[in-house]
Amino acid sequence: MQKTFWNIYKTFFKIGALLLGGGYVILPLLQSEISEKKCWTTMDEIVEYYALSQSLPGVIAANISIFIGHKLLGIRGAVAAITGIITPAFLAIILIANILEELVGKHTVQSVFSSVAVGVVILVILTIKEMWSRSITDTFTKIIFITTLILALIKVPPAWLIIGSILIGILYGTKNPEEAE
Amino acid sequence: MIYLQLIYEYFKIGLFSFGGGYATLPFLYHISATHHWYSAKQLSDMLAVASITPGPVGVNVATYSGFTTGGILGAIMSTASIILPSFIIVIIVAKLLAKFRENKYVKASIHALKPAGCGLLAAVAIQLFRENVVQIWAYILFFALLIMSIKIKKDPLVYLGLSAFVGLILSFLKVI
Repeated sequence: MQKTFWNIYKTFFKIGALLLGGGYVILPLLQSEISEKKCWTTMDEIVEYYALSQSLPGVIAANISIFIGHKLLGIRGAVAAITGIITPAFLAIILIANILEELVGKHTVQSVFSSVAVGVVILVILTIKEMWSRSITDTFTKIIFITTLILALIKVPPAWLIIGSILIGILYGTKNPEEAE
Repeated sequence: MIYLQLIYEYFKIGLFSFGGGYATLPFLYHISATHHWYSAKQLSDMLAVASITPGPVGVNVATYSGFTTGGILGAIMSTASIILPSFIIVIIVAKLLAKFRENKYVKASIHALKPAGCGLLAAVAIQLFRENVVQIWAYILFFALLIMSIKIKKDPLVYLGLSAFVGLILSFLKVI
């Protein structure tokens, strides 16, 4: 498929429509749509953008969409990707805004909420597996992973962890230049 | 006037919330307390709804509160405002990255950034598991899906569709 504005918009619209349970499931969706079905970027690039997106302010799903859109077609691609990912979310909220309370009160709706939430946990775990295989390559990266995980669990703000890991990465990389390849 | 306030508040979230999803929550509660665009109860309903409506939670809440306070125009303003800082920052970073990808400091940072990102997400997974996998049916569904994911690699849509379907069935059977 050609990387035109319209094709990028359509692809991200589809991903946006499937982006249930918050933005966390965007990585498996990108993997399936952008990398496997369309071969627009490699999975390594997507994982890298995901890590960068977590380290920048704002909504992660939006950040990574802008990164990939920009990579595909510059600023126009970025606009196509972000508007594509946002449109389904926007329309869905406008449609249900007036019946929000009723909707949440419905028992069936609540059951679906809670079971989809379980599916989302699985997708996040699959995302971690994918990121793990592409980012944890040696003892150094293992230590970074475990330290970040523990500190995040005791509620150290993510921004600090990101800044800390960048600093440690630079320190380590300048001492062991061949390892950071 | 209300439009300017919406733009200001959501631009601020877009600019200052690090770590996505749950990182926007304190800001959203703060807005509910200061502007009364929605109540804390509405916000928690909204968060539940955000899990079955498409899109990131922060964006969903922005659209919702923009819509309830300023109609369609308000919804567009607040949604665009939460996205705009990301857009500007990501474009700058993407351009810098393209230019300095071969730089040794950039390489070294990314080498450490990727496992850190993975660690952050693992913490999110543990948090989500604790919150959402509580009852027995949820454990069963969780492990069934997990085994499925090891045996066969499927489209993410399959997992979402399947778990929604199970929820529907369990609701009819009055299990949950």
